[in-house]
Amino acid sequence: MRQKFHINFVKNSKIYFCISIVLMLAALVVNIFFIPTRVDIQFTGGTIIKYSYSGNLKEKQISDVAQKATKDTITFTFAENLASSDSNSHLVSLQFMGNKAISVDEQDTVTDALTKAFPKNTFKVEQSTVVDASKGANFFFKCLAAVILAAVLIIAYIGIRFKKIGGISAGVMAIVALVHDLIIVYFTFAVFNMSLNDNFIAVVLMVLGYSVNDTIVIYDRIRENRRKMGPKASTADVTNASINQCFPRTICTSITTLAAIGSVLVVSLIYNIDSIISFALPMMIGLVSGCYSSICIAAPLWVMWKNHSDKKKAEKNKKEKEAKDEKKSNKKKAKKAEAKASKKSADKAKETAETEVEVEAETEVDAEPETDESEETSAAQGDDETETDETDAD
Amino acid sequence: MKRVGKPVFFIVFAVILLLTYTSVFGVYSENGDLTITHIKGINDIRWGIDIKGGVEAVFAPADGVDATEEQMQSVKSIIDLRLVNQNVTDYELYPDYTNDRITVRFPWKSDEENYDPGEAIKELASTAQLVFRGGTSADGEELLTGKDVKSASARYMQANGSSPAQYIINLEFNDEGKQKFAEATTKYLKQQISIWMDETMISAPTVNEAITGGSAVISSDSNPFTAESATELANKINAGALPFSLKIESYGTISPSLGTYALEAMGYAAIAALCFIFLFMCIMYRLPGFVAFIALMGQLSLSIMAVSGYFTVFPSFTMTIPGIAGMILSIGMGVDANIITAERIKDELWTGKTLDGCINNGTKGSLSAIIDGNITIIIVAVILILVFGPANIFSALFGVSTTGLIYAFGYTLLVGVISNFIMGVWASRTMLRSVSGLKFLRNKRLYGGKKKS
Repeated sequence: MRQKFHINFVKNSKIYFCISIVLMLAALVVNIFFIPTRVDIQFTGGTIIKYSYSGNLKEKQISDVAQKATKDTITFTFAENLASSDSNSHLVSLQFMGNKAISVDEQDTVTDALTKAFPKNTFKVEQSTVVDASKGANFFFKCLAAVILAAVLIIAYIGIRFKKIGGISAGVMAIVALVHDLIIVYFTFAVFNMSLNDNFIAVVLMVLGYSVNDTIVIYDRIRENRRKMGPKASTADVTNASINQCFPRTICTSITTLAAIGSVLVVSLIYNIDSIISFALPMMIGLVSGCYSSICIAAPLWVMWKNHSDKKKAEKNKKEKEAKDEKKSNKKKAKKAEAKASKKSADKAKETAETEVEVEAETEVDAEPETDESEETSAAQGDDETETDETDAD
Repeated sequence: MKRVGKPVFFIVFAVILLLTYTSVFGVYSENGDLTITHIKGINDIRWGIDIKGGVEAVFAPADGVDATEEQMQSVKSIIDLRLVNQNVTDYELYPDYTNDRITVRFPWKSDEENYDPGEAIKELASTAQLVFRGGTSADGEELLTGKDVKSASARYMQANGSSPAQYIINLEFNDEGKQKFAEATTKYLKQQISIWMDETMISAPTVNEAITGGSAVISSDSNPFTAESATELANKINAGALPFSLKIESYGTISPSLGTYALEAMGYAAIAALCFIFLFMCIMYRLPGFVAFIALMGQLSLSIMAVSGYFTVFPSFTMTIPGIAGMILSIGMGVDANIITAERIKDELWTGKTLDGCINNGTKGSLSAIIDGNITIIIVAVILILVFGPANIFSALFGVSTTGLIYAFGYTLLVGVISNFIMGVWASRTMLRSVSGLKFLRNKRLYGGKKKS
């Protein structure tokens, strides 16, 4: 098969793990000490009113007037109003503290105060969002239920799909990659100081769906290559070859997908539309992370696991072989005893027969993991038939 | 290999071009001053309130009153009535009987320059003023008010002796109301009494006899009630007798200027994404890349059709900003199917097989990978639709709510995947097979093969 790329993903895996861990730790530090996570008023309840106004006003002037009109503490955010044809138009967002849903009248009081204080600056409500706390909580739990439902379905799908291609261990690694991506998405929101809202839920679900695809594609190729390359090829080699073969497709698909969402992001940055930025930016980072985690986390981690379990298996096999050698004589006896029991007539003492069968069953279970088990057994049985004399002697 | 005739490419290409043009621009004809829509284009899409601006409000009984379902239905019918009175026709109302909430959402009224959405919301929530008046004029004598009414209900029965059974409204008055109604019906015997909700006359029955028993029946022989109209009238009368007032629990307003601006931005984003993908696909995959882009246009037009309704008989889907983002995202993901196939064809070409064999093998082996790449997206899209949609699976748990803005994201994502199977898989393969039959396009380099050795 044509293979354009020759990157040793498995060998470099430690670097990838370090990159991920360092990034997450750095984000965690930023999140804890500098930028605390903000939860949108969609979930907590609260009030945000966005006014547009024309002309130049000092920010302090506006905040003083608005603050005087209400008892609640307000936080102000100022921005250029690019949506207006008037080049000297501005926006100011008022967020009322304490997650309080203010009434229409209270809002009117603030609006009136502003219009009265600055009659020439045409204050206008561009957007107002007032969410009652109970409604916010309700919406939050609904979103949570949606995420849980999606996670359950995706994990079920992984379970079904990976039964064929790499077993439980590969499925577990796919889930590790998913968790990695979700953590990255969360930190994107935290570090860029975007509040968790319904966009967050949409991005989380989308990344859940998107990330698994790449992982599945790679494991599918691993299964195919395992067949082609034969049992002698090491797990690392097979995995590396598989990732490299999938690489052009993974990269190209990622590029087109990222270009699509990237153009949304760039345009919304130029136009300064918060609600789209907080959708497109985490989506983009989540998609990159999804692609990265499939290639650089899930697959190498799986190789490590596989090598580890192979080693363990080899050790176990060795031990078992020793144990088996020891048991061999016992087993022979048991087998013979069983043969004897079956041969004996019905009036033979029942008790003796039962104990003998039990002994036989135990040896059988012990011998199971052995690959050459069947041979072994048939040989033992052969012994039974030919060496009846010996049994009798016992 | 399954042979596909050479003209097929041009036919599919033409069909896609036609679909793209009509789904974007629509087909209209003019009949005098009237513009008749034959096929709906982008301009006929029903935009969500985040684009054209609008109002959303949640009403609940004040002081934590636990309202019955009938009472909530009354609340709903009065809000219905008031919205129509405010000239708002394009509204959505979601009653949530589990949590006693009513959510209303309506677009900004475009004809009003200084529209005050706050005032509109307050009007909707104000206590219903039910008045019985003598005669049918708005300044007729005030006979009874909502306080005198105990209940109103729609029934199906014989109104008077011999006539066939019909729908009627049964009115029950409380003690004070019984007294007043007896006096009123005596005074206005054989005359009309009108029932007013706020400033609207909702019924004007003629008094057939003086009613002193405290219960009355409104029926109509000339214009019989239907089950629906009878219930509606009963609900409206009940609204005037509600034992609680409404409070505005949550509300939101978006001015149209912000929304239109965002729509414009998303339009540019879509064009930029399409241009990039066109260049990328043509450079990376040459002929299959070009074919993939044609198919992508087809996919996009199918998606737009699914949103606008395309034919005038189908209603338009309510499109929001996240919905457009979902559409753009599905453009980006849509070429995945073509990339998988094109990569496989490249692989095959490098083994030195014939072009036809390569295309055949490349398309044959890739379907399972394409399905794999889409199935989890389908799962996610369906969950988004089911959870944030109007009939959501969690209604029993969390109550009915408005369709979230994200609902459209799930919808366009799902529609994108489905149209991807039609266009990105089926149409692009057919086109590729057909085009590979053209002599001047049989150079393997056009398919990503190596230089002729």
